[in-house]
Amino acid sequence: MENNTNELPNIGLVYDLACTTGGQTCFAASGTGLRRSTDGGETWQDAYASLNLEEALPTTSVVIKQLESKCCVIAGVPGGALYSTDAGETWTATSVTSPAPAVSTLVISPAFSEDEVVIAGTTQDGVFRSANGGRSWTHWNFGLLDMSVYCLGMSPNYAEDETLFIGVESGMFRSTNGGRAWREVDLPFGYDSVLSVAVSPAFAEDSTLFAGTEEQCLWKSTDGAKTWQLVGDAVLDGPVNALLLSPNYPATPDILMVLDESLLLSRDDGTTWTTLLTGDVSTVLAPQGMQPGTSVLIGLMTGEVISHRL
Amino acid sequence: MSKRKDWWQVPRVVFQPDTYRGLQSGIEQIVNAITPTLGPFPRIVMFDQTIGDQGRVPELLDDGGTIARRIIELPHRDADMGAMMARQMLWTLREKEGDGTATAAVLFKTVFDEGLRYLAAGGNAMRLRTYLDEGLRLIDAAIDAQAFMLEGKHDLAKLAIAVGRDEELGKMLGEIFDIIGEYGRLEVRNADGRHYEREYTGGMYWDNSGWHSRSFINNMQKQRCELEDAAIIMSDLDVEDFRDLIPALRHCVRNGIKSLLIITKTLSEETKTMFMMNKTQKRISVDVITAKTPGMSLDAQMTNLNDIAAWVGGKPYVKAAGDSLSNIKMEHMGRARRLWVDERNIHIDGGQGDPRYLRSYLADLRKAHGNMRDFDDREAMQQRIGQLMGGAATLRIGGNTKTEVEYNKEMARRAISAMRGAMRQGVVPGGGVAFMQCKPMLQAKLDAASDAEERTAYRILLHAMEAPSRTLMQNAGFEPGEVMGELLHAPAGSGFDVVNGKVVDMREAGILDVTTVIKAALHSAISSAAMTLTTDVLVHRPTAPDAAMTT
Repeated sequence: MENNTNELPNIGLVYDLACTTGGQTCFAASGTGLRRSTDGGETWQDAYASLNLEEALPTTSVVIKQLESKCCVIAGVPGGALYSTDAGETWTATSVTSPAPAVSTLVISPAFSEDEVVIAGTTQDGVFRSANGGRSWTHWNFGLLDMSVYCLGMSPNYAEDETLFIGVESGMFRSTNGGRAWREVDLPFGYDSVLSVAVSPAFAEDSTLFAGTEEQCLWKSTDGAKTWQLVGDAVLDGPVNALLLSPNYPATPDILMVLDESLLLSRDDGTTWTTLLTGDVSTVLAPQGMQPGTSVLIGLMTGEVISHRL
Repeated sequence: MSKRKDWWQVPRVVFQPDTYRGLQSGIEQIVNAITPTLGPFPRIVMFDQTIGDQGRVPELLDDGGTIARRIIELPHRDADMGAMMARQMLWTLREKEGDGTATAAVLFKTVFDEGLRYLAAGGNAMRLRTYLDEGLRLIDAAIDAQAFMLEGKHDLAKLAIAVGRDEELGKMLGEIFDIIGEYGRLEVRNADGRHYEREYTGGMYWDNSGWHSRSFINNMQKQRCELEDAAIIMSDLDVEDFRDLIPALRHCVRNGIKSLLIITKTLSEETKTMFMMNKTQKRISVDVITAKTPGMSLDAQMTNLNDIAAWVGGKPYVKAAGDSLSNIKMEHMGRARRLWVDERNIHIDGGQGDPRYLRSYLADLRKAHGNMRDFDDREAMQQRIGQLMGGAATLRIGGNTKTEVEYNKEMARRAISAMRGAMRQGVVPGGGVAFMQCKPMLQAKLDAASDAEERTAYRILLHAMEAPSRTLMQNAGFEPGEVMGELLHAPAGSGFDVVNGKVVDMREAGILDVTTVIKAALHSAISSAAMTLTTDVLVHRPTAPDAAMTT
């Protein structure tokens, strides 16, 4: 296994990573801005160069979708979002509401080319929904009793089932109408924060998703969040800050997890785990899948983005 | 010589067999008036409204409970007692569930008539009642086992269309309840036009409140007072002296809070003046608006203050606890992202209270709601829960005439009540199929029974389980015997779709009944019929010929 360090200037914690399919064009959202790579993470440039900012703009989340005629990128920033339709060459700012919340997480519809839906989670105002690629946002929080959103998970079948999951300070909520209304998910351990969520690529068939918590480790549901089982027993101890399932899950039951500040890999659906990297890991992305020999991108607390061969 | 009394001045005692004969006659008249309303092709019952008011249009009804209620008195007093028994049962059911009265009427009559046949042959009414009650419990459990939850606006819309008998209304209600949930706040109002409209409001609001003075208005267009990132003081206190609020203002200044909502029962003119002066002169760097404690009564005010505190955090300051605002602490103030106050309401969006506490608080309220038996208490608790869930919907009902609007509103209310029940306890296959599916269980009990009353009870219940389906078919113009024969060979869950005239899987076809309504109809009918069968003597009290009947 190899580490290639593609050092960026010291830009603060890397919150989020996003890539086009295949991983050629990548973005890294961090405490002091957004970086873009057009060579799969080998080199990085300032994605906000066209904005001529006087100060760095903290960016807490980023999503990207490559369409036929354009490449859409939406970045979550304090007070709203920036959207681009030319892979980050130029940007337009949109505000979410007043007073401005901090956008903590973003998720983009798998059917974005048809529905242009983007969902934004915020730290104080719950969830916002855009149906025009991030140009404008609507506040839809019916039934959402917790406005501190840490993570979002979207069904790969969203165009049909409109199903979303959000991790919040007190646990988890679910929507089956595209984010218009939310229902509490009963978790067996009470009201612990859910920091990460990963939905199976085969959710339409297996109804499987994973929830990573702050103090109660990792949980799995195979019935669409109605019931839950603990994954990995007492082996895993610490906040689960990020989760990633193999694109071929469940046929290939690989899971990448950022546990506290370490990166772990399971090749057996969470039963056993191998520690890949210890210390300073904040997020992970696997643009080429998780087969042995492929490279994953790892965001660090120091602001670096490194690639790591599995 | 003493004055001879008129017939109605003499109490009259009625014994068997006149008791049963009289009761049966009355029950039959009420039930036969209601039976034609069962199903998707209800016949209309026309009520004469010309008595004492010449020329008024007759009232047209298709709701069993209302029909029963309109039948105030039958001429024959023995029959009248039977009719009033049935009437009371049906109206109570209608008040509690909003639906199911025609089903209950059919079940009631079947059980009563068949029970009567057995008793006339020498059976024991009390023993029979015991076994009927036992059978009722078993049927109840069997219906629970068939219940399933509806998910998504399309399933919800199908149910709403079936209950409300209006596709446009049904689709709209399906969407509304998919968003607001089973407890969600939904108001029904008149529309300006002919169609249905709906709108949604996010956040939480409390009525029976409003500003202390319109001088606080800072949004002239919307005529309301608005704040962002505000602290909130919640109380039912009377503020006479402005100086009582100085500690609170100091806390805000020290902690960088720029906006403050103060909720009090009353506010002295001096205090209002001080705040208005500050608004123009900006002596204190805090924008303040004030509002009245929401709620008409002391209890309602306490409840509302606790609910607001659950949402925004902090602690209410209340008279009953001897609290004073001069001792207020920073951590006792709530926080919200946005709020506004108008003439009658407080609206809060983005409460910043502890979400764990709010979720736990709501869970307790939902549990309490489930345990409540009184209809009005349940309604009040449901509204409270709906309020705290965040957001509300308004459904505006249109129509071509005022009568049509009122009719549509009544249909909407029935559908709304049915949908809340469905979302809480699920639905079962409709068209009487849920009852029919209890037959194998009852047959097994009958086969295993040796006691005469026990066997009779199960036989009666077996017949009763078919009665709603048969009635539906008859009302739609089909021959029940033929259809029942076809159903014998159909898979489980099959029933007869009387609209399309064919045997279908009821669940797949979307022909459903609300579990709570079906069970309530079942319980009301069977337990009332069983109790009526144990009636041995009627006693008629003296009453003047023109005395009004009480409900």
